[in-house]
Amino acid sequence: MQQATTNGTQFETPAEINVETLVHDDKIHASLYTDPHIFEQELEKIFYRVWVFVGHDSEVPEPGDYVTRQIGRQPVLMVRDKAGAVSVFLNRCAHRGTLVCPAESGNARAFTCPYHGWTYDLSGQLTGVPFPGAYGPDFNKGDHHLPRVARCDSYRGFVFASLSPEGPSLAEHLGIASRLIDRACDLSPEGELDLSAGWVKHRYMSNWKMIPENDTDGYHLGFVHRSVLKSAGSQYQLFIGEESNNKGLLRDWGNGHTEIEFSTGYKQPFEWFGGAPDKYAAYLAQLEHSCGKAEADRRVFEGPPHALIFPNLFLAEMNIALFYPLDAEESIQWHTPMFLKGVPELNTRLLRQSEAAMGPASFLLPEDITIASRNQAGLHARQPEWLDLSRGRNREYVDEQGRIVAHFTDEVTNRAFWKHYRTLMAQV
Amino acid sequence: MLSDTEYRAVEAFLYTEARLADEARYAEWEALWEDDAIYWVPAHPSGDTDPRRQMSHIYDNRSRIATRIKLLQSGYRYSQEPASFMRRLISNIEIEKTDAGEFVVGSNFLLLELSVQARHDLRQWGGRTIHKLRWVDGQLKMFWKQVLLVNAAEPLPNLTFLI
Repeated sequence: MQQATTNGTQFETPAEINVETLVHDDKIHASLYTDPHIFEQELEKIFYRVWVFVGHDSEVPEPGDYVTRQIGRQPVLMVRDKAGAVSVFLNRCAHRGTLVCPAESGNARAFTCPYHGWTYDLSGQLTGVPFPGAYGPDFNKGDHHLPRVARCDSYRGFVFASLSPEGPSLAEHLGIASRLIDRACDLSPEGELDLSAGWVKHRYMSNWKMIPENDTDGYHLGFVHRSVLKSAGSQYQLFIGEESNNKGLLRDWGNGHTEIEFSTGYKQPFEWFGGAPDKYAAYLAQLEHSCGKAEADRRVFEGPPHALIFPNLFLAEMNIALFYPLDAEESIQWHTPMFLKGVPELNTRLLRQSEAAMGPASFLLPEDITIASRNQAGLHARQPEWLDLSRGRNREYVDEQGRIVAHFTDEVTNRAFWKHYRTLMAQV
Repeated sequence: MLSDTEYRAVEAFLYTEARLADEARYAEWEALWEDDAIYWVPAHPSGDTDPRRQMSHIYDNRSRIATRIKLLQSGYRYSQEPASFMRRLISNIEIEKTDAGEFVVGSNFLLLELSVQARHDLRQWGGRTIHKLRWVDGQLKMFWKQVLLVNAAEPLPNLTFLI
């Protein structure tokens, strides 16, 4: 038995908690947000197994370009090699475990460990060991390469890694939710995104799961974001007030991937970009040139996705966000504007919108994060034990594409998150 | 050449601006701004980032400063409701006077913030500020404020008070 301290009270927690008993179809147990032992299980069963978003290939455009990231607590290195392939390595010298790359981003011809000078090329091969004569004849440099993640794959530039050699492929994990990534990329006349504006990092004192849950929760919009809805023009005005006026939808795309669909509530093209379609005539012409008028009109009406790719990628309309769990009660979210390749003048506007929407000084996320911190504090109260998740169960339906759909203010997305969470946590 | 009177006036402006920000006196703080305002907090501590290409924490023109203030005055800006208790120290003041008679002012700051919106966390912020000031009808006004946080590139807690 291990001792845990929560909110000043000592209590005993079993070393192995049967987490699936804490997640029901219509309610979840409050300890899922506060128990440090559950957090450790989440690292093992979720972050160290499933496909985790690491970065985007536009962040490392040239051979030798790299970025460092984390998967759970494990430091990783995403690098483009001389042949142009992007790989993800554990950021750890095979000799004594030193970070081979302490910088957050840059360009390198090779990675040399500062401790004893072991050197790795861009494909992770050990190429240099100072004073090799001291090793015996059995020592083979090929056995001491930079450790690769068990599996690495990408979809339209989004690079994912899995630390487990087994399990569903990336294509299986994404399933039909790959269409959400398509929806983002297809807004670019070149079909590609450019995540080169740098990441802003936001620290918050709550459990990591509150962010994916909140990201596709429509119910909170008119309450948590009342300050911005009162003070500034916003397309989100269409999604507050009486339920019957709110045409937004929520969708469960399977495997924990969830979405708020705003476009069913839009009244004109470019509503997602603050309306005024005439401002974007040049962009629209480029898009029409690439995919035809009807398809371009459809794309600019529908706009970008607002969707969570389980567990750590948030397609946040014209932003891309990822998050890191630190411990049961602290997390970090990173975000960057979703630049579209081929339309630089649009991207400058995107940058200003991104600063307004997300990040520690922005007009939206600080409110979510403040409320999440209050949730975290409140959940230390031991009653009631369960959080209700039943909102809208009586009116959800399955559409022709197999997605569960519900009204904007329902909880179908939260149920979708927890359903997949329970499946993963039940695995041995 | 900068006169003693000018030095004292610029220094007094910095102290007033800091106190209005510390005390959440939003309307009075906003009134210090000129219409060609840029309020810039880069996401990197060096300050040599290009705000047209790279993310900033804040890159406000005058109209966005007004929106920022309206949010704070709405009563629903939960990340500053109630407002943090703050005091900042200013030092290492260096003033240049331009040919146009404007002032480019560098100063260091150390700010203590007691965040009281969820838990009570004492946070420290520090960095260097570049102000650009000009005389308007006998009063100094600012048209540029760039805040180079030493931890600009790190994960930051909410930064919705007036930095």
